[in-house]
Amino acid sequence: MATSLLLEAGIALTVLAAAGALAWRFGQSVIPAYLLVGIAVGPYAPSVGGVSLTLVEPSEFIELFAELGVVFLLFFIGVEFSVAKLLAEPRRIVAAGGVDLVVNVALGFGLGLAFGFSPLESVFLAAIVYPSSSAVITKSLIDLGWIADPESEGVLGVLVVEDVVMAIYLAILAALAIGGPLADALLPLGESLLFLLLFALLATVGSGLVERAFDTRSNELFLLRVVGLTALLAGFALTTGVSEAVAAFFVGAAISESDLKPRLESVVAPARDLFAAVFFFAIGLGTDPTAVAGVAGLLAVGVVVTGAGKLATGYAGGRAYELNQRRSLRMALALVTRGEFSLVVAALAAATAGVSGVVSTFAVGYVLVMSILGTVLMGASGRIEGLVGVGGREGSG
Amino acid sequence: MTVYETDIPGVGRKFELETGGGSRIVVLLHHDGRREVFRRPSPDADSEKLFDLDARNARQLGSILTGTNFETVDVAELEVPLGEAIIEWWEVGEDSTLAGESLGDAHVRRETGVSVIAVQRGEMTIPNPDSTYRIQPGDVLVTMGTREQQAAFEAMV
Repeated sequence: MATSLLLEAGIALTVLAAAGALAWRFGQSVIPAYLLVGIAVGPYAPSVGGVSLTLVEPSEFIELFAELGVVFLLFFIGVEFSVAKLLAEPRRIVAAGGVDLVVNVALGFGLGLAFGFSPLESVFLAAIVYPSSSAVITKSLIDLGWIADPESEGVLGVLVVEDVVMAIYLAILAALAIGGPLADALLPLGESLLFLLLFALLATVGSGLVERAFDTRSNELFLLRVVGLTALLAGFALTTGVSEAVAAFFVGAAISESDLKPRLESVVAPARDLFAAVFFFAIGLGTDPTAVAGVAGLLAVGVVVTGAGKLATGYAGGRAYELNQRRSLRMALALVTRGEFSLVVAALAAATAGVSGVVSTFAVGYVLVMSILGTVLMGASGRIEGLVGVGGREGSG
Repeated sequence: MTVYETDIPGVGRKFELETGGGSRIVVLLHHDGRREVFRRPSPDADSEKLFDLDARNARQLGSILTGTNFETVDVAELEVPLGEAIIEWWEVGEDSTLAGESLGDAHVRRETGVSVIAVQRGEMTIPNPDSTYRIQPGDVLVTMGTREQQAAFEAMV
């Protein structure tokens, strides 16, 4: 057991480093690895011969870094958010992203109701199964070289729509989280939408201001300014009842069209990776593996239903992008992967009164399965194409 | 020829250029400077990765491809295009014998052999001044000639 904060931080980061190395070795995303190692060394760790394997208890260090992880995950989704991309081919992107949104949210909500969850819990479940993982999918696109092919356009298009939808969705969820019952949530919802409007204004009209605030020649000062100001604005948002994640998204979006982007990627992204690793780890720490086993039925149905849902909407999206059958199938396989967004929703669900702990437990099991499944499906695309008869170069369309 | 440029969130920028017969070259510029180059033989084929370069090598390759790759050269070799001649800059001082004279009256070329190819006066540059041009203190004369001729001119200024 850790006796000091420093030792605890050292243990946590070291096991994360080891887990990350293993994931790389097996060509897997790091997210499931961080989750698993969190479960393995956390308070719910199994005992071997009467000795508990628990090394790390949730502490202030974990809590703070995990919070910063959420903020900077969303900050970078904002930074990487491209309005130009959204407006470049509005017809295709709205068709592909719209089908993706309507079908997958409906499936998630229906799944919740069918398993006896309340409407509020079902809204959370829908937010967990809807968004695909930009982080994991983009990495796979590069690893497999699909990034150079037209299917990557479709995949990235759908992900952009999901990003903006999730920013709004998270804002609503955060308001619900404070408000409790749906009816009482309307006031904080209105209030938080007002603040969101302010942040959105900051992102559009005030982007020059944000850019100037961040711009400095020294990388050291640049890092401090970005981390400091973003945490400050996100923290301020939280005190007024607005989702800190959504605030961070808008701060990031404010500088998404600026020249600072490459510098953010080189100077600040490593900080994001550090915080985010602890965030995934913290979710693992809070997860009881026996509880995950307890939701196996829900998990199995959820994986099959929402996996099939994504395959169908991904394929339809590919056709909307005028891709041939083979490329549309690839787009479908790619979008199966779920990851960071689902876990951000899970963290919010865990902190919300009136939402059963089962919801966030389900999310952890769900992301574990879907992040690995998605990566495996993409890697096996050649064989799958052969199986369904769209393989080879004669794929028509 | 059309070049398509797209943003890849979190990665960098992607450029596709048509190379005839439906084939395309795809260049992926990572934020960290790494470049990946792919070739897609036909619209329905998969792109094949050709190579992967860091920023420095990519710039070198780029300059070779555009035909602008010059190695840094020895200063002495810079004189070659002009034969033996070199170009020098001279500022005309207050007490210079040239101050107040016109180029023709000073017989610059006859006395020293250098040609005054331009004069810089403050912000202004006068290219190829004629013999009536009157030199003033503070002018910077740009002269072309051999080292000996330049030395002779230096004495005059």
